[in-house]
Amino acid sequence: MTGAAFDTVAEPGHRTLTYRDALRETMRDALARHPHVIILGQGVDDHKAIFGTTLGLADEFGRERVMDTPIAEEGMTGVAIGAALGGLYPIHTHIRVDFAMLAMNQIVNLMAKYRYMFGGRLTVPMLIRLVIGRGWGQGAQHSQSLQSMLAHVPGLRVVMPAHADVIVAGYPWLVARHDGPVISIEHRLLYDVEFRVGAETAPASPFFSRVARPGKHVTVVATSIMVLDALRAAEHLASTAGIQVEVVDLNCVSHPDAALVTESVVKTGKLLVLDTSWQAYGVCAEVCRLVCERRPDALSAPVVTMGMAPAPCPTGKTLEDRFYPNLRRLVAALARLATGHDDHGIPLPDDASQTDVYRRFRGPF
Amino acid sequence: MAIAFASLHERLFYQALRIRLVEQRLVELYPSDAIQSPVHLSVGQEAVAVGACEALAREDLLFGSYRSHAFYLAKGGDLGAMLAELCGKATGSGGGKAGSMHLAAPDVGFMGSSAIVASTIPHAVGAALATQRLGTKRIAVAVFGDGATEEGVYHESLNFAALHRLPVLFLCENNGLAVHSTLAARQAYRITAHAEAYGLPTSACEAGADFDEVHRVVLAAVTAVRRGEGPRLVECRTYRWLEHVGIGEDFDAGYRTRAEFEAWRAHDPLVRETALVARFAPAIRAEIAAAEAFAEASPWPAEDELLTDVA
Repeated sequence: MTGAAFDTVAEPGHRTLTYRDALRETMRDALARHPHVIILGQGVDDHKAIFGTTLGLADEFGRERVMDTPIAEEGMTGVAIGAALGGLYPIHTHIRVDFAMLAMNQIVNLMAKYRYMFGGRLTVPMLIRLVIGRGWGQGAQHSQSLQSMLAHVPGLRVVMPAHADVIVAGYPWLVARHDGPVISIEHRLLYDVEFRVGAETAPASPFFSRVARPGKHVTVVATSIMVLDALRAAEHLASTAGIQVEVVDLNCVSHPDAALVTESVVKTGKLLVLDTSWQAYGVCAEVCRLVCERRPDALSAPVVTMGMAPAPCPTGKTLEDRFYPNLRRLVAALARLATGHDDHGIPLPDDASQTDVYRRFRGPF
Repeated sequence: MAIAFASLHERLFYQALRIRLVEQRLVELYPSDAIQSPVHLSVGQEAVAVGACEALAREDLLFGSYRSHAFYLAKGGDLGAMLAELCGKATGSGGGKAGSMHLAAPDVGFMGSSAIVASTIPHAVGAALATQRLGTKRIAVAVFGDGATEEGVYHESLNFAALHRLPVLFLCENNGLAVHSTLAARQAYRITAHAEAYGLPTSACEAGADFDEVHRVVLAAVTAVRRGEGPRLVECRTYRWLEHVGIGEDFDAGYRTRAEFEAWRAHDPLVRETALVARFAPAIRAEIAAAEAFAEASPWPAEDELLTDVA
């Protein structure tokens, strides 16, 4: 499938690559540069290779370093923790977030606690890569976006890269410089999207939030692929109504930049939080907490949140389309928030204009 | 202080007695509330830790459970740091964040202990994987109780270790009890037969109070693991003298009998060999008193320690 273009204007000193290629490149570099790196997960060495992100690496580096594993999520997470304690840097993959629920004991009770509960005497440097599924009937158990359950637990750092540059700069930084456990939640539908990144990218911490598009009328704080939706909505509102939406990519959901978010809200006075998950007890609730504890006076209108409908994900197409926020509903919510009324007269994109990415995705997985 | 031992038996006796006297001192101290931490005492089970650790090298990595005072000390963990930790002091092994259930002494290969049953077993397997990849000589040891063998992660760990022939020893301290539940109420399998189904050679030690015998059985297994012959399982039968958590006896609770306890006690070298007790106890008690004084004199953690070493 041809990737949907995003942020791909060619400029000197830049190159274009897909999210998938960024992942494969960083996985390969990690193995090539660091003899203590291993990649383990179900199917990392097969022909599908975690959606292509580990393709060819078992042949190049050996199956001792790119290890297929038994179907044993808790056990293998524990093995990864022990390997980290023994001097390796494990990169553990799960092709769906949902499968990691079987490993929650190790993630929450052990991995997150090892540094603290032994007074800093033991550390667990490792990376867990989880993939969110969406579309083509992924259903209740292949679609969950459970970042808030993970980010809730002190001891874990959770990132949701919305741009390939976070992977190209961030993953090498984690392997080389960070001695704690990190969970990166990647979105399946980002894999085919093309991004523009620097031709030479220095390793840099991925624990940040950033302004992905500056604006002055309304702030959208978004996660993962929702950042792309927010940017499309911002472009639509700018071109049709002159409304300048500021898009904040939260990126590090466990340690978000509260000052950056607050500063944006102080500037615009209006906040919409757009998450890949359910609103209750999640990123939407947390971003509201960050703002309300700092500058509730900055809000000139009630906060709006958007995410998955409060139900398990249905499989049938019409229900599934309704389950997720779409561009039309997002633009409508932003137009209402920015203007203060329903009869704003701003043209909305029709449902058919939902992003190419989602329309083109034909699965099966 | 240097103490001369005439034999391996005497040296192991000294170590086992030291652990018992430490825990008996904890029993005496507990009512003072100086130790505000749940304690899962190893009284009666010391010989397993002492015999097993004698078969290990300092750099071997051992992973324990919430009942780990004995293994922490037998592996070489510092007594002062342990007592300070139990009292929540800054000089404790975990700086006052660990308590009794999360002792660690990575400098001597005691790689931490967890209150979630069976949860560190895969860590030993992972440490063995690291050893295999990095080409180091050390082996890894998972120490767990009979109850832990009922957890799914135990099965996952045996399978992966056997599949990759990892240098790991699975050491089961079978005291026949999971809190107050007996083996008969919990297990449809025998622990050694089950491990053999994964291809692990196993050995059993029925005399778990006899540190010489434990040492002999564990050393044979460790030697095979160290030679690269793949993982092994050793099951040691043992007996927990005190209640699951806390300092009391609970033979009147109805789930076990005092007669069982008396049978184990009758075979316990630390009870029978009174001459050695008399010879070694004074030096051990002096060491314990010094460690207690160290713990008592140690400062509390600074307030800002609350948020250090989080992530």
